[in-house]
Amino acid sequence: MKKIFLALLALMSLSFAKVDVITTYPYLAETVKAVGGDLVRVKALASPKMDPHFIVPKPSLIPQMSRADMLVINGAGLEIGWLPPLLKRAHNPKILPGSIGFVDASQVIDLLDKPVAVSRAYGDVHPEGNPHYALDPHNIVRIAKLVAYKLEAIDPAHRAAYEANLGKFLARWNAFLKSFDEKMGRCKGMKVVQYHELFNYFLKRYGIVSLASIEPLPGIAPSSKHTIELIGLMKKEGVKTILQDVYHEKKTARFIASKIGAQVIVLPHDVGAVEGADTLQSFYEAIAKRLCH
Amino acid sequence: MKKSVVCSLFTAAALFAGSDEVERLKTQMHQQQQMIEKLLHRVDELENRNKKTQEQELNIRIETSGSRSASFAQQAFLPDIALIANMAAVGRNVGNEVYENYKIPGFIGNPGEIPFNPKRGFNLNYGELEISSTVDPYFDVAAALHIEKEGLHIGELFVTTRALPYNLRLKAGKFKSEFGRINPKHQHAWNFSSIPLVFESFFGPGGLGDEGVQIQWNLPTENYWMAGFEAMQGGNGRSFGNTDTNNLFIGYLKSSYDITDTNTLLAGVTYMHGKNPAGNTDIVGADLTLKSFFGSYSALTWQNELLWRDKDGTGKQAGLYSELIYDYNQNWAGGIRYDTLFKNIGNEPDDLERYMVMMQYKPFEFSKLRLQYTYDRSKWIDGERKDIHEILLGLTIEAGAHGAHAF
Repeated sequence: MKKIFLALLALMSLSFAKVDVITTYPYLAETVKAVGGDLVRVKALASPKMDPHFIVPKPSLIPQMSRADMLVINGAGLEIGWLPPLLKRAHNPKILPGSIGFVDASQVIDLLDKPVAVSRAYGDVHPEGNPHYALDPHNIVRIAKLVAYKLEAIDPAHRAAYEANLGKFLARWNAFLKSFDEKMGRCKGMKVVQYHELFNYFLKRYGIVSLASIEPLPGIAPSSKHTIELIGLMKKEGVKTILQDVYHEKKTARFIASKIGAQVIVLPHDVGAVEGADTLQSFYEAIAKRLCH
Repeated sequence: MKKSVVCSLFTAAALFAGSDEVERLKTQMHQQQQMIEKLLHRVDELENRNKKTQEQELNIRIETSGSRSASFAQQAFLPDIALIANMAAVGRNVGNEVYENYKIPGFIGNPGEIPFNPKRGFNLNYGELEISSTVDPYFDVAAALHIEKEGLHIGELFVTTRALPYNLRLKAGKFKSEFGRINPKHQHAWNFSSIPLVFESFFGPGGLGDEGVQIQWNLPTENYWMAGFEAMQGGNGRSFGNTDTNNLFIGYLKSSYDITDTNTLLAGVTYMHGKNPAGNTDIVGADLTLKSFFGSYSALTWQNELLWRDKDGTGKQAGLYSELIYDYNQNWAGGIRYDTLFKNIGNEPDDLERYMVMMQYKPFEFSKLRLQYTYDRSKWIDGERKDIHEILLGLTIEAGAHGAHAF
């Protein structure tokens, strides 16, 4: 009787021992949820309403990192301004670079816009390439596979479950991609201007042309000289659409739009950035709906 | 066996089908045979070509092997390096020679060398090299080296552990004590150009930094609770200075609570015990910070710290500061600070105060221009209180490896 009780207890503790996963951004948390299912407990550190380059390193984020078994980051320099001090303060060897629990998703992505020359004279450039690859829905497939591989390494007892979850998710996601790609076909060739080079992966995937950005250099606030040049360029090229993120000032975009009769479209950059974009699928659908209808 | 089956099938097929059909099959087979031969030929060709290019490549590598000098290249292992410089133009209503000998009665008899902005006119305060690297799977190392006219001075040089269990971390070397809010930060990260009066009085213009060891523990709680303990030599002459053996012990507890997603409270308490040449020194400290965020780039921060000291040979003294900083956007910020030494010994004055206002412009993340006005009622010059007015325009740059922002 005692033995049975003990065995039951052991079984219970096993089944309740979830893998604790921390991700830097919400879209990564959604991907981990899809692959990990009930076997993981996952939380994103960053709020999707904030600039992903400048997340406030609140001390309240430290306890979550201290007890995590796995940390999934976007990488390509996007977290360099806020994550390293938190990682140092977390005192958790399981999620430090070099451990199995440290997962840099950018390592399975073909990054765009890799700069030929790197200097801070060009503003906030990322030597690895443009880090905003989450905007291409096709990249989710790669990230899901990476997450499954890592979860299986950390929690080999549930290998089969992760494989099954991954299979189910990919089937669903590939079906979504097929219809989504078809839908996006009608926007091919559209010309836009964006605030920061935030949407390049989405635009390139669907053949939308980004002619310039409102920022004169990455990370540098708009200047009047650059804005006037931009207005001239947009008039010449007949650009009628300005893409704006949720966290920068919108004055400049509205000013340009009023000068040339263009429209400012606010696009989400992550899951949860705008209303009704709470899942991976609705996040991409929200972009399509706002941009392409 | 298989062959005979195929053969018989063929014969059967031939018997049933007409001779036309047989002819058609024959030509088809012939065509297929020709195609297979062609394909085989192409495979051979490709294989040969591949072999040839491999051989060519190898030959090129053999021929150029002497001119390759990367065998011992280690650039990929270079530590992260940042160069920090701080300079300022200062206007003050007191001449340089008299200013250098100011007193804060009961607290500072002689300021010694003033490291930041000692002169009216132009001050190149310091250059600082911040170097950090992971040593191996078990240790990280970090150094802050001050480049001064007399040479290189070790501001900090310490090793921290990477692999301790139970959310513990050990630090050893020379480092700034991590109690409170302002003491762990370097001058270029402060919101005003000088440390508050009570810190200057108790620890000197650079705060408390010493040789020693530190252990920090993140408690396994839902909210942030961190306990730290430091054992130090006690070389700081303002409060301690008896370095016969490691004589200074510091303990602190810090916690943080998010009132809402955009309102954060951070609080801490500190106790330290050390020895000065006349006996014991005990210091108790408390800090409280409230931060509200209005977006990615805008925030209001209210930061307060209090220190109380009981020093044998001197007596009981205390001071505090309170500062309010408003970050308007990525470029502009402004702030005010009130600073006071409110408890003094014997008949010494306890109305020693200082007021500061600053406005800051950051063209980009890595450079900072600051205009600051100070009204100082804490200094005695030539035996009497002298109200000091100071205006300062400072420039700080941080080039090289990206120093991430601490909270």
